[in-house]
Amino acid sequence: MTALNISGLSKHFGTTKAVDSATLDIEAGQFVGVIGRSGAGKSTLLRLINRLIEPTEGSVSFDGVDITKLKGKALRQWRRDCAMIFQQFNLVDRLDVITNVLIGRVAEHGVLSSTAMRFSDEERTMAAKALDRLDMVPFALQRAGTLSGGQQQRVAIARALVQNPRIMLADEPIASLDPGNATRVMDALRTINEEDKLTVLVNLHTLDTAREYCGRIIAMRQGQVMFDGPAHELTDAVVRDIYGADGLDDFNEAVTSTSVGNRPRVAA
Amino acid sequence: MNVTEKEIAHYRAQVPHLYSEPLQVRLQRAAVWVGIVGLFIYCLIVFDFSPARIMTGVERFGRVLSFMFPPYIWTSWFEFAPILEGLLETLAIAFLGTVLGAVIAFPLSFLGAKNINRIPFLRHTTRRGYDVIRAFETLILALIFIRAFGLGPLPGILAMAVSEIGTFAKLFSEAIENTSEKPVDGVKASGGSRFQTVRFGVMPQVSPVIISILLYNFESNVRSGTILGIVGAGGIGFLLSDRISAYKWDEAWSIIFLIIIMVYIIDWLSAKIRKKIIGEFGDTK
Repeated sequence: MTALNISGLSKHFGTTKAVDSATLDIEAGQFVGVIGRSGAGKSTLLRLINRLIEPTEGSVSFDGVDITKLKGKALRQWRRDCAMIFQQFNLVDRLDVITNVLIGRVAEHGVLSSTAMRFSDEERTMAAKALDRLDMVPFALQRAGTLSGGQQQRVAIARALVQNPRIMLADEPIASLDPGNATRVMDALRTINEEDKLTVLVNLHTLDTAREYCGRIIAMRQGQVMFDGPAHELTDAVVRDIYGADGLDDFNEAVTSTSVGNRPRVAA
Repeated sequence: MNVTEKEIAHYRAQVPHLYSEPLQVRLQRAAVWVGIVGLFIYCLIVFDFSPARIMTGVERFGRVLSFMFPPYIWTSWFEFAPILEGLLETLAIAFLGTVLGAVIAFPLSFLGAKNINRIPFLRHTTRRGYDVIRAFETLILALIFIRAFGLGPLPGILAMAVSEIGTFAKLFSEAIENTSEKPVDGVKASGGSRFQTVRFGVMPQVSPVIISILLYNFESNVRSGTILGIVGAGGIGFLLSDRISAYKWDEAWSIIFLIIIMVYIIDWLSAKIRKKIIGEFGDTK
């Protein structure tokens, strides 16, 4: 069953085509990795799906609803349905962890209850459960800014979970984490994908992570989708093409690898 | 994600403060609110903020406002020249006062910044120095300087400069403290001296902030510069207070209008300059 339909989606910044007529169908429950070099349009693609930015052309629809046309309340509800986690975690440093997680519930609240930052006991328990899944309950009352990067990213995932999302977007979630934390975060995403049957779309810098976790890989170059298929079809020739590594003799995935205990793959 | 009563009870038992803040915190917060509201009401009573007094005041104010019409128009150059001169003098006082204050405050601000001056005793002494200067309101300084230097713009400029030293030094040193250590480490790791880390690492970060502060305070000084004239320290304020005390309300109102126009133009210009300069520097945060 197709969940997310992207057709002819483009985003132009001046004369730059950040995303250039991308067309993709993503099925419910898939774990999809998006790869490509910096500036290839990966982040723009995710932001277009979440409607943090507006497309220049084309459309995105989810379960048959065209989300590029949504406005006001319907748009906010779409953003709730389509949870997003970021490279820099985007937590509110000065708020405690539990309140950061409860921000995932704001779409259900009006002006008054938000002003007082008032949440129900059910919502607090949802937040606690989400934190528990990520082993973060002991930090619940600490300020988010005092946590390490890996811990902050897990709080961000908990915030995404309490949104009760239908799809989860992750924009380079492990790019600023050490290998141990990167593994924990990716494992958490995998667990969510498998247990909650949630569609996950994740931008990645590291190819071996993409191969390890993603059933399907989409590669972008200069805003266009250059490759779309299962991980094993992503050959070195394709990788070279995507990253434009023609001039580099020893293009080696192991150089960018953040995995623990993975011996370097030898480029064939 | 469904939640059962059992789960609520489980997490409430595990981390009770997830659900309600500690009693002590709630009591403290309530006490602070009661204190603020209580003090506010007490002050209202002490200063007799009765609705009746407010009403009579508003009535009289309406009469004063009505003198605005018809507005007074200066017909001859001979009559208007002193007004224009007063306006320009106010501008000049604000400009000189701001620049003079900034030039003196700039080096002092480094002495008060934690990331530059690492000797706590010297830093705290400098900071208390800023506080002492800022404790004097410009108007009080002007009254003192008039005694020393005589009437005219000179005591006004000095009063403004001195009070700005305190303000600028404090604001600049805070801007310096709020800079990121990263570029500084970059310069240091390249073999930069202490001065070079400041010049290449700190200064590019603070200069847009400093310019922004300078422009804002210049604006604010143009406004407060009009008051200085009232105590005899030069500028348009002298003419204004003279017209008010002579009950020439129509002319006074026209002067007030000119001041508003002048302040508005300065605001507008400095907003443009700020946008241009900060824009050029990009987002240095």
